[in-house]
Amino acid sequence: MSDVSANGKGAPKITVKGLRKSFGSNEVLQGIDMEVAEGEVVCVIGPSGSGKSTLLRCLNKLEDITGGTVVVDGFDVTDPKVDINEVRRHVGMVFQHFNLFPHMSVAENIMLAPVELKKLSKAQARTRALELLDRVGLKEKADARPASLSGGQKQRVAIARSLAMSPGIMLFDEATSALDPEMVGEVLQVIKELADEGMTMVLVTHEMGFAREVADRVVFMADGVVCESGPPADLFGNPQQPRTQDFLSKVL
Amino acid sequence: MKNSYSSLRPTRWSRWIATAVLAMMAMVVGIPGAVAQPSDDSVEGKTFVIGTDTTFAPFEFRQGGELVGIDMDLLRAIADKQGFNVEIRSLGFNAALQALSSNQVDGVIAGMSITDERKEVYDFSEPYFESGVQMAIDRNNDDIQGYEDLEGKTVVAKTGSEGESYAKSIADEYGFRVTSLDQSATMYESVKAGTAVAVVDDYPVLAYGIAQGNGLKTVTEKVPGGSYGFAVNKGQNTALLAAFNDGLAELQASGEYQQIVDEYLADPTEAAPSTFWDLLTQSLPALMKGLSNTLIVTGVSFAVAMILGLAFGFLKISNNIVLRGVATSFINLFRGTPILVWAFFFYFGLAQLIGQTVNIWVAGVLTLSLNGAAYIAEIVRGGIQSVDPGQLEASRSLGLGYGRSMQKVVIPQAFKIMTPSLINQLIIMLKDSSLLLAIGFAELLYQGQQIYAANFRVTETLLIVGIIYFVAIMALTKLANFADRRFNK
Repeated sequence: MSDVSANGKGAPKITVKGLRKSFGSNEVLQGIDMEVAEGEVVCVIGPSGSGKSTLLRCLNKLEDITGGTVVVDGFDVTDPKVDINEVRRHVGMVFQHFNLFPHMSVAENIMLAPVELKKLSKAQARTRALELLDRVGLKEKADARPASLSGGQKQRVAIARSLAMSPGIMLFDEATSALDPEMVGEVLQVIKELADEGMTMVLVTHEMGFAREVADRVVFMADGVVCESGPPADLFGNPQQPRTQDFLSKVL
Repeated sequence: MKNSYSSLRPTRWSRWIATAVLAMMAMVVGIPGAVAQPSDDSVEGKTFVIGTDTTFAPFEFRQGGELVGIDMDLLRAIADKQGFNVEIRSLGFNAALQALSSNQVDGVIAGMSITDERKEVYDFSEPYFESGVQMAIDRNNDDIQGYEDLEGKTVVAKTGSEGESYAKSIADEYGFRVTSLDQSATMYESVKAGTAVAVVDDYPVLAYGIAQGNGLKTVTEKVPGGSYGFAVNKGQNTALLAAFNDGLAELQASGEYQQIVDEYLADPTEAAPSTFWDLLTQSLPALMKGLSNTLIVTGVSFAVAMILGLAFGFLKISNNIVLRGVATSFINLFRGTPILVWAFFFYFGLAQLIGQTVNIWVAGVLTLSLNGAAYIAEIVRGGIQSVDPGQLEASRSLGLGYGRSMQKVVIPQAFKIMTPSLINQLIIMLKDSSLLLAIGFAELLYQGQQIYAANFRVTETLLIVGIIYFVAIMALTKLANFADRRFNK
């Protein structure tokens, strides 16, 4: 299913085997196998309730894992002896609703992790924050409060914040779903630039056009299992499974 | 609030809590009721703590902030003659007796009649005053000429007093009802207000009150009754008792005794303040002292309540069922019981349990802070739970631990949400601090009671007290709102 060498990228950064996740008696993930190679961009698509977001949240253990193994950047996150905080510093995450800290300025949002985790001094962290803001085109907003930003600007700050610890992997959980249509483009542009720089990324998205453009591989999920996966041209152009065909006929 | 990161293991905690509970039970069971104080033959140079009533003019009352009255002057004169020192605690009659039983005080002088019942538990001095009870009615009431006119009416008497027992003993014969109140001043007010037609009280008290212009008059003869005595716990402080008797005999022989009694009964002292302005200027120093005590006890209690409230608020949202149970029990216990019960428990009950006197400030702060902590714990829980769970997730996903995330991200936001409720709680606590007057804590309302007990100007004094509370609370509210705007931008 996931042929690492086929796309010509490096060794696996994420390896998921037999991942199961239940909420009470409701089994949301029913055995997921997946690999993501270094530098690979994987888009996860599928109908709502199919378990896409839960899968993503299992990768950095925001959800407790019911069964199976998840190895991220060499760490087995299901192993209780592994310091999950250490793992999370290697994995940036961007949320649908931005989750910026409203009581801090834009720059303080970005500086929080490097300063608190003693990676950078305050002054260094500020320089780093300004660099990251420059990269997402929001340098002039460094001292603004998140509440004064538009949705698109907030999400770009959130991306800058998740890059502050220089992660090797980025996770995007429906990063454009809460945005007004005219702001989707500016956020996708930032994500695309990250992809072009070779960042390993897993994106849960409803933007089929974007998935087709940036993804090395598209994973289609339905009812808690991976139904079909492959390069975007194949999956969008010639879907094999009836579930995939049915879904794509509704969204494309 | 999602909190699936707690590393506290239930087994370790439950064992710790079980140990703590066992230790507490052992303490309660294992310690004898009261520890007898060693008695020593000499009183020379020693200091004795003596409990007394708050409001029993002319035996004890405040004048210009000083405790005066027949009991006070006698006690001080005797202490002077016998060379010992007294520290007087003005607690209220019942509270003074409870304090004596729990060894919070060494003796009680409170215009207390010597009865067989009391002799069972206390040792009394020689009688120092021959009292009796008398009935009084409103000055303008001409319908009541004697007990036979009381049929179907209500008569008020002081809880646990000679007057109460006398009134009850003839209540059936004359067909009236007896209700009991705690203070002379409020009894007289209730007669003037018409809720009772007559009051039965100790004759010297009535005589003094009428001379002070309390608006009552007597219509029946004095009923010769009890003799007043100074009391210590049975078998304890024998030297103090002996010294009291010796000093009393000396005063009676020298004529000083009669001087003291006459000063209060024959010719009532310094006229009560005549105008509202006089009342205000005379009472203000004592009331300001009371306000200061009110503010200090509230401030300290609130600080302690914040610490405890934060701790229990966090336990309340813990994933661990034992910790949650501990927090829930604490909250239910202190929210579900009246503050007064705890005030009495910490001041009197605890003293008997640990066999040591409890400082009234400690008792007051424990009472207010534990009650406040129960409410603050709920405010904290609500505040934290109303912060979007996405905030904690975002912080955790950056690699910050649970504690750091709470400290830097969740609590600052929760605090902003909690601030109005916390200000509200502070104001409630300030008002609740007035309940501490029941154990004799000298806060604002207590000082007000002391003043009207001596001058019988109940309404005006309470009006002044009310205004002081109102102004203090308004000022506090403004200050808190200013701080809220400044720090929670």
